[in-house]
Amino acid sequence: MTVTTLKARTTPYTGEKARLSRAYDYLILVLALFLFIGAFHLHVALTVGDWDFWIDWKDRQWWPLITPLMMITFPAAVQAVLWPNFRLPLGATLCISCLLIGTWIARFFAYHLWNFFPINEVLPATMLPSALVLDAVLMLTNSLTVTSIFGGMAFALLFYPSNWPIFAMFHVPVEYGGAQLTVADLFGFQYIRAGTPEYLRLIERGTLRTYGQYATPLSAFCSALLCTLMYPMWWWLGKAFATTKYVKNI
Amino acid sequence: MWIATGALVAFYLFIRVYEQIYGWRAGLDSFAPEFQTYWLTMLWTEIPLELVAGLGLTGYLWKTRTRDMSVLSTREELRRWVCLAQWLVVYGIAIYFGASFFTEQDATWHMTVIRDTDFTPSHIIEFYLSYPIYSILGVGSFFYAKTRLPYFSKGYSLAFLILTVGPFMIIPNVGLNEWGHTFWFMEELFVAPLHWGFVFFGWMTLAVFGVVAQILMNIKRLLGEDGVKAIID
Repeated sequence: MTVTTLKARTTPYTGEKARLSRAYDYLILVLALFLFIGAFHLHVALTVGDWDFWIDWKDRQWWPLITPLMMITFPAAVQAVLWPNFRLPLGATLCISCLLIGTWIARFFAYHLWNFFPINEVLPATMLPSALVLDAVLMLTNSLTVTSIFGGMAFALLFYPSNWPIFAMFHVPVEYGGAQLTVADLFGFQYIRAGTPEYLRLIERGTLRTYGQYATPLSAFCSALLCTLMYPMWWWLGKAFATTKYVKNI
Repeated sequence: MWIATGALVAFYLFIRVYEQIYGWRAGLDSFAPEFQTYWLTMLWTEIPLELVAGLGLTGYLWKTRTRDMSVLSTREELRRWVCLAQWLVVYGIAIYFGASFFTEQDATWHMTVIRDTDFTPSHIIEFYLSYPIYSILGVGSFFYAKTRLPYFSKGYSLAFLILTVGPFMIIPNVGLNEWGHTFWFMEELFVAPLHWGFVFFGWMTLAVFGVVAQILMNIKRLLGEDGVKAIID
């Protein structure tokens, strides 16, 4: 290798064309950011919304089952485009970050500042650790199959542990009117919601077939299995949406 | 792009302040006269304005279309490709406000009032203001590409159609939504199956993949081999 080629590699290209391509980097990134906040947030709000909105919906049975299942969708689709085409290992993290930005803005400005629900009652769940692992698995293995199975499983299994530090303090029991409640229940009772009566909550109520203390791990593993199926489905959906086909008539 | 973004953000900031004040002062009882003054007037103003704006924008873009694409210089075509990306960025920001901010905001308003009309303050903003605005911008970006860029001028890019028509279909889906809430048993459950139509049409924004792929293909073509090489090295 001669000195000149070395120098050519170390000095970044600064011509007009380089500036154009850099401008495109920003345009597409900003486009992706806002579009995915909008679309992914819509998807999440209308499929796992109520569990994500309210502290007293975050239970052991339904919340850890449905949240990863519905939140692995867009990450898989975005990964299907960003990784094979651009080798950008950030599809899932990008989506989940977009989602968190969108939800936090809505929770603070709408739930809190407009309708005065305390922020602690409307904390969103986080999927960031799961998304980071999903991206890392895809980057390291470069395999759809391995990422579906191990990445998808990790995505679901990490959900409850990574949210535990945020929500555990609301599970402290209190005695209230002679009954036992969690602090989360109390939030739900105290800050009155016009449209959510207590019976409407889709949360664990116990069955005669539930043995021991396994509710959360069971939900997490069930979700893990479903995520391994959901992941490739949305991967192919992402691929399909990346079509450059033309149609003659509409 | 900066002007459109600034205008959009300033406008929605104003709307957010307006609803802070008049949501609580005039938006709680739809049978009260002040609801007419502060909210229904807004509804009856915004709908015709949006229709006119949408038709005007598409009409203008079509009227001023480039009739002979063969005279386009490479430089001018490159400029237009950047302009298209700017259209899409503004579309994305409008989608953010519509699908994210004002949609989830509605969930909290549902928990504030037992509603006595389909046209709550939140619905007047969400369904009949923020959704039409992003739809207009989507159709605008589609028409811009169709009338200004040779690549899009012949035939229809499937991805671009899905990207602009899919989220647009969220507006007619409001019909299903309101019908279900009015005539069917529906509690104020946000994850109710009746809302999944919105989700389905929201997925259509993923077609941005195809559109961006088409943009990048063309940029690569216009930059030429030496340009691409210079950037990569």
